Amino acid sequence: MQRLTDSAEEAAFRERLRSWLADNTPTIDRHDPKELAAWQRTLYEAGWLGLTWPAEYGGQGLGFREQAIYNEEAARAKVPPSVNNIGLMIAGPALVAVGSDEQKQRYLRKILTAEEIWCQGFSEPNAGSDLAGLQTRAVSDGGDYVVTGQKIWTSNSLIADFIWLLVRTDPDAPRHKGITALIVDMRSPGVTVKPLRQLTGENEFGEVFFDEVRVPKANRVGEENDGWIVGMKTFTRERANISISLSVRLQQQFDRLLEAVRERDIPLDTQQAREVARAYADSQCLTMTCERLDERLFGFESSVVKVAWAEMNQRLQEIGLSTLGADAPLLPGRGYDLGRSGPATWATEGASGKEPPFEKSWQFGYLRSRANSIEGGTSEILRTVIAERVLGLPRK
Amino acid sequence: MDFKLTDDQVLLRSSARRLMTVEWAAAELRAMLDPPQAASATTAIWSKMVSLGWAALLVDEEHEGLGMGMFDLAVLMEETGQALIPGTLHSSAVLATGALQALGTPAARERHLPEMAEGGLRATVGIYEPDSGWSPMRLSVGSDSRVVKRLVPDAAAAGLVLVVNRISGNRVQLARARGATVTDLQSMDVTRPLYQVTCDRALLEPIGEGTVGDLQAVIDRATIALAAEMVGGASRVLDMTVEYAKQRKQFGRAIGTFQAVQHKAADMLIGIEKARTAVYYAAATADEEPERLAEAASVAKAASNDAFVAAAQGAIQLHGGLGFTWEQDLHLYLKRAKACEYTYGDTNWHLDRIAHRLGLS
Repeated sequence: MQRLTDSAEEAAFRERLRSWLADNTPTIDRHDPKELAAWQRTLYEAGWLGLTWPAEYGGQGLGFREQAIYNEEAARAKVPPSVNNIGLMIAGPALVAVGSDEQKQRYLRKILTAEEIWCQGFSEPNAGSDLAGLQTRAVSDGGDYVVTGQKIWTSNSLIADFIWLLVRTDPDAPRHKGITALIVDMRSPGVTVKPLRQLTGENEFGEVFFDEVRVPKANRVGEENDGWIVGMKTFTRERANISISLSVRLQQQFDRLLEAVRERDIPLDTQQAREVARAYADSQCLTMTCERLDERLFGFESSVVKVAWAEMNQRLQEIGLSTLGADAPLLPGRGYDLGRSGPATWATEGASGKEPPFEKSWQFGYLRSRANSIEGGTSEILRTVIAERVLGLPRK
Repeated sequence: MDFKLTDDQVLLRSSARRLMTVEWAAAELRAMLDPPQAASATTAIWSKMVSLGWAALLVDEEHEGLGMGMFDLAVLMEETGQALIPGTLHSSAVLATGALQALGTPAARERHLPEMAEGGLRATVGIYEPDSGWSPMRLSVGSDSRVVKRLVPDAAAAGLVLVVNRISGNRVQLARARGATVTDLQSMDVTRPLYQVTCDRALLEPIGEGTVGDLQAVIDRATIALAAEMVGGASRVLDMTVEYAKQRKQFGRAIGTFQAVQHKAADMLIGIEKARTAVYYAAATADEEPERLAEAASVAKAASNDAFVAAAQGAIQLHGGLGFTWEQDLHLYLKRAKACEYTYGDTNWHLDRIAHRLGLS
């Protein structure tokens, strides 16, 4: 039956969450990992994290709907960003799906409490879209693997305790068959992290170097040489989760755009008004498409939403920037240190500071949005996924 | 929010799909290209649709209808749109039924709706005037001796031709146009012929009244039904394109393996999925939250315009020279897409309405 509103249980869940968030959402420094970790712990203790994870590992054993409601309400309440988003959105769900019982016991709860921060080591300098070409090697040596190689574009690598890593264990096997998934302690001897400054000036990403790093075989996830499947499961979860939370944030960005437009002295001309109206219509369509696709989002359909979201957010940021007129290229926030490092935020945070900092500006939003069609699968690769996996067109 | 189909809706969809496959295959569709055959093909499929109860779908039970909702209708229209079923279902069972229900007097509803529900009477409504566009508030408050309505769907086949006129400020009147002259306007979309209806004002038989807002709601509901058909049509041309791209070989391989072809097809799908969501949402809104109907209908129509036109154009491009031929059905879909695009407001009309509601203009 079609419902535009929550079921009774969903409404009760939403109400409980909304009032909890109203009472507990803190004003904290969004760049201080310690403060952010403390906030995440508060969320966990109140029972709002790991909603779909099994209860025996610290989760709540609830469904996809509750997770979607959480994403909506958290975005609406403008909660601080998640310090452990890779753990919560990617590594954790993948571990739930494919990890051993020991691994789930060992890692999942501490992902939720933010006692241990995670990053993800998939991409390499020579293996981006063509991930199966990854070259970081793991050589079996007694009870360990010895890992040597390099990962790149690794979000949160500067503060992470663990990395969710794909390595090549069989260089002679066909490309997809010789890959294995490992959990690696970032403090292991031989691990070096270098910040990677991006075009916004921030260090959201890093490069991670492995020089004969010893990793116990107990840290292998799934079977040896089965890592490609593990990686694919990671990806569909990543895209589904990101799609839901980002489509909610898109609505907020749109509200911000409306505010900016209304604050302008000069009214919009017809063409500009239509552009904004079109952005509104598109963002409505996209948000509701996530709701309609529901659990299909865990399949290849997530690519449909990801491609549409990236283009939508890019267009929205361009329109936002254009509302500033000729001032558009001027960077706001006097005295802002472009070289500052720390975990990044999506360009969507609500106003809590005194002076609008760079990352809340349209300039930042515009610049940061250029990554949307690259990160988490380039739009080119995802269109190929849609064509071959959703539409069933033949592969080369 | 929950868009899952009920068991009844799944059943409705599969019976629609079956009818389309058996009774409205390529030969029937092609018959629409020949005017004498077109009329009998339209009548034949109409009686099949009537026997399945579709003419009664939106009619309330009090008037011997099924009293079903807009979401049910959208599920059905997505299927009929796939097959390019001629417009009678839309003009009579949706538009005219909606106008009578919203504006008709009890006596008029009593008189016409049961007959329309059982399919014996086909009706249509003239609203559009050259100077009004699709904005009811801009309909003329005329005193001319003649009433001229353009873009009236299926008027030649209709046993009951209605018109809606503005009579003062915010008031509109629904009237039966007796003795009207019906002129074929030669729409490029032969599956949905459009007419000019001209009649003497003195001969109008008033059968109901309402506000401009009531009329707009009638149009908005018809817009959602049309958008559902458009999503269906867009899906069909994408399916045809995928099949063709699997078979057609160039440079020794299926053209569907080429990235340029794949990515165009992927974009077609993205547009269709967004439009389908918007249509389902708008249809559910019409049933559950009528105060949001206007906005939801505009979002659905704008998205469907984009999706169907892009899909039809893309399909022709990916079929190459074959796609440009008269023998291939794609041009029928392209023409339906373009005709629908301008019906009940083009994309700019709907964007302007959204902008207005957002306080931007």
